[in-house]
Amino acid sequence: MTDQKPGVEAWKEHTTAFDRVQSVATTVSKPRPVSYIADEAHVAENTARGHLERLVNLNVLLKTKRDDGALYSPDPLHTRMQTLRDLLEAHDRDGLIDLKIKLQSKIEAWKADYSVDSPGELRTRAAKTDTASQTRNLKKTASDWELARYRLSVLEDAIESYATYTKDFRASA
Amino acid sequence: MSDSYTSSEASHRALRAIQQELERHPTVVAVQGFPDGYFTELRAELAVDRWGIDRENATITVRWFAGATPDARPEFEFHYSDEETDFGWHHHEQEHVDGWGNFQERTNDGGYTYEPYTFHAQNPAQLSWEIMSSLSSGLNSE
Repeated sequence: MTDQKPGVEAWKEHTTAFDRVQSVATTVSKPRPVSYIADEAHVAENTARGHLERLVNLNVLLKTKRDDGALYSPDPLHTRMQTLRDLLEAHDRDGLIDLKIKLQSKIEAWKADYSVDSPGELRTRAAKTDTASQTRNLKKTASDWELARYRLSVLEDAIESYATYTKDFRASA
Repeated sequence: MSDSYTSSEASHRALRAIQQELERHPTVVAVQGFPDGYFTELRAELAVDRWGIDRENATITVRWFAGATPDARPEFEFHYSDEETDFGWHHHEQEHVDGWGNFQERTNDGGYTYEPYTFHAQNPAQLSWEIMSSLSSGLNSE
């Protein structure tokens, strides 16, 4: 039987059940049961359960046990380490510092342009605009700002522990 | 996890998952976080000739914001452009059609037309394949 939802057959053709379970489970916004992840990943529940347990053992997911079954959610530490590794693979220490300056400058520019200190304040202002397009623009900038702040925090971690991380990184390569 | 939910980290995870799914798609040549350093959006270079379509500079740009709380609706857009046109599937507040989901397409006078659009997929990974399927259909019907 084919799945009528657009793109699902191609998704199944070009990925494994494990790929799909991982993709779905690492993007849920709150802890979810096996049934939810299996349904979203288009795999059988038993298959999903096995893959989810493997992802828990690999420290990709967190598992919360409840009386009516387990819930699975992404491990924030894994996400952070992935981003850290990407940054260390792409940049040396000077490159990381240049990126940090770039991000800090952008954040300073947003603060000056909108006379606010945080993306939260910008969102509050977005709720008081006159037109939908003004609201949209402010919310878009607030989202960019939040992503930039997250990226900056990982970047600072990468710079601070550069010698340790790159030593470990070379040892594991 | 709900207690430790942060929208920036959730958005970042969604963008990473979308990047991975687009890289698996046979029409995608390369995907990069953009701008360099911020990674607030993804840009995928497409080889639409693999669909039998003769267009230069075909790209799809993806933005994703997971929402301020775990239960909030995500705001996102997948926007295609090439040497001739641009159009995209968006999900966010706007004043053009009812609801959040909309398909928008640039017109000859530089403005855009808007139609309501209902997304089938609920998660960023499947959504990436839904959009690529709709894109293929859209370009082939032009």
